[in-house]
Amino acid sequence: MNWSTVKSLATVLFKSYFRASRYGRRSLLSSPVVIVAIDLVLFAVPFGLLVYALPLVPADLMSSFRPVAVQSLVALPVILTSAVILAGILFELGQTGGLASSEAVNWLPVSPLEYVLASSVSMELTYSPFLFIGLGVTLPLALSFGESSVVPFFILISIVAYVWGTVIVEALRSVMNRISTTLYKKSGRLGVILRIALVVVLLVAVQIAFNPYILYAALSGIAAGVNLAWFVPVIWPSAAIVSFMAPDVVKASIFALLSLFFTFLIFGAATRLRAKYWSPIPITITLSTSTVYVPQGKSFLWLDSVAFAVASKELRSLARRREMARFLAIPVLLVVTSLLPVLTSGANPGKALSGVSIVLLAETSLILPMILSSISIGQEGNSISNIYMLPISADELVLGKLFLPWIFSGAGILAIALLMQFLAPVAAGQFLATLIAAALNILIQGYVGLGTGSRYPSFNVGPRARYLSFTGFIVGFALGGLATLAVLAPLILYTGTGLLTGLGGGSAASVLLTIILTLAVGAMLLVLTRYYCMRGVKKLFSSMEA
Amino acid sequence: MDGITLESVTKSFGNKVAVKALTLSVLPGEVHGLLGPNGSGKSTTMKMVMSIVKPDNGKISLCGVDVLQKPIEAKRLVGYVPELPYLYEYLTASEYLDFVGTAYGIDLKTRRERVDELLKALQMNEHVNEIMSGFSQGMKQKIAITAALLHRPRALILDEALNGLDPRSAKIVKDVLQRLAGEGVSILFSTHVLEIAEAMCSRISIMNEGSLIAEGTVQELRSKAGMPGSTLEDTFLKLTGSEDTEKIVEALKL
Repeated sequence: MNWSTVKSLATVLFKSYFRASRYGRRSLLSSPVVIVAIDLVLFAVPFGLLVYALPLVPADLMSSFRPVAVQSLVALPVILTSAVILAGILFELGQTGGLASSEAVNWLPVSPLEYVLASSVSMELTYSPFLFIGLGVTLPLALSFGESSVVPFFILISIVAYVWGTVIVEALRSVMNRISTTLYKKSGRLGVILRIALVVVLLVAVQIAFNPYILYAALSGIAAGVNLAWFVPVIWPSAAIVSFMAPDVVKASIFALLSLFFTFLIFGAATRLRAKYWSPIPITITLSTSTVYVPQGKSFLWLDSVAFAVASKELRSLARRREMARFLAIPVLLVVTSLLPVLTSGANPGKALSGVSIVLLAETSLILPMILSSISIGQEGNSISNIYMLPISADELVLGKLFLPWIFSGAGILAIALLMQFLAPVAAGQFLATLIAAALNILIQGYVGLGTGSRYPSFNVGPRARYLSFTGFIVGFALGGLATLAVLAPLILYTGTGLLTGLGGGSAASVLLTIILTLAVGAMLLVLTRYYCMRGVKKLFSSMEA
Repeated sequence: MDGITLESVTKSFGNKVAVKALTLSVLPGEVHGLLGPNGSGKSTTMKMVMSIVKPDNGKISLCGVDVLQKPIEAKRLVGYVPELPYLYEYLTASEYLDFVGTAYGIDLKTRRERVDELLKALQMNEHVNEIMSGFSQGMKQKIAITAALLHRPRALILDEALNGLDPRSAKIVKDVLQRLAGEGVSILFSTHVLEIAEAMCSRISIMNEGSLIAEGTVQELRSKAGMPGSTLEDTFLKLTGSEDTEKIVEALKL
């Protein structure tokens, strides 16, 4: 083992993580010293605040905090392990497929052991804020409740659990590489679908895992279940802490030693997996075993053959690029984030859901088409040269690029509307008015998104690429937000304030009035935003200095 | 006159003048070599002909169509292989060629015939339904060349198009280009391999620091350099003022 190679490689991997990301070369974060400084601040701020504030809490109230403090101490190791694993996997999913194969480490004399060690160290530095925030919050609790003797042991065990996360990510990277290679080689289209499903499930799982309500339930569950699930390795660090606080030094030592043993075990496994399954060669995915070329090309709905060719390409990009699959999870994530607090709050869900419904439809009809259309130019990356060199007009590009955002968002909105109608039914007239407003908003946001994406594209296709500059993001969502408010204003006046309810001589008439007003505002905005979009795309064509 | 013509074309990027008042013509049926050191303005010139980069001044015409006024119409007439072919790597070769063929407005029957014959010629027909991310550089280059030839263009802009090709495919492409030139296609061809330029091009233009410093047949260039009987490499080095290579190698003390 060459330690200088490990140190050097760890630094390189750490810097590449930040420099290859959307923060770019200018990122201050790519300096380990800066990260350590940030860590110290992240530790000191909650630590200082809690050390100052906790003595001010009345004694009777303080006693009710004690279970929470114990739960935090016991659960922190497990939370650290899972947080690092999730962050590591999400980073891996955000990477372009070709990046790994071009890593210089593949042709340099670096052993699997050296690589795994260096990569783990770089990840430990990258995700170190998790550890420091966790310690900054939990240590004052331990000190306040007279558990100062557990503090050194707790810190040590938390670090071990944190290291587990990074080593497990290393092992998973090799396994994921192996699985995706096998899956793609053998299953073609099925592999593509499975990967999308996996990404969506994973992102939703992350969303659920970090929901405050779920997190609290998990904290309580872990603390209560430590003794029952002692045979599960991921519980060993928590079991060691529980035993230490019991106090049962023998059991605490056994679980601590088991935790250390498990560290070496997963390290060995990660090294073996890297040696065995890491294949730096990009795999060839065969979608059809036929070697016969069958030309495809047709017009579809309102798209001519060129616009349809662009739309098909967009669909394939969304479905097949690993780094694009996360965008497909947006509607599911929106539903989960909106419904989870309502369904887990314990309040009357029926009443709360009716309020959530219109907000959910408004945010989905804004966010989904806006994101899909605004990234559609930047996600071309260097391949944008194809659009420039082929005889594709601005009209064809706009229609082709917007087809997918419109159709996908339309399907998403319809599904959400039906779900909400099932959970919290409203009158048919209001349902229809809501659908019309959402449909118009989707069309409008598509134009706003593409207009913004063509003015402020980011062609950086590295890990976690945004495909839209930060300015574009602000401009797009500011314009889109205003348009959403405008197009939904009649509906809000009807459902929220009741202002339109009494007008027009009855319920049906007021719904009709709401629909007419929505259509009028929507039509005006469609004209304006289409103009904004076409201007942006024409500007893009006229400024192609790539 | 049809073919490709550039009249007093200038392009700057900030303070850097990439192309200075370039006047150049590629006649129908001519394979015209565009040579020059790295950064001499060759690729920028080709991108301007493709209306990918807009010139600051000057006029560019492609088969009688004003490139600046009617870029879409001009693009329909030309095939282009860029220096680095950025293909849509998440598409299969077949899907990519469909996309290109549709953009050029080629009907399905013609497309099938053209794709079949071109891919077979370049030994790529076995890979037609594979996603291109797994392709080697040479395989990507072959797909880019197929895409450029798909619509029977009247002009071809080839920016180091033979890079990465195996000898057999390179020979086929060279022969195809000669045949297309025989049929009246105007070909603007850049390469750093001077033997290829000498063998293929009926006329050669040499650019240096954005300016056209010499133009003519190989013989005319030799005469201009005052080096009759020399190789094109020596002529090129003399004209571009970079003939001191021996001294540089000596200084390396290898």
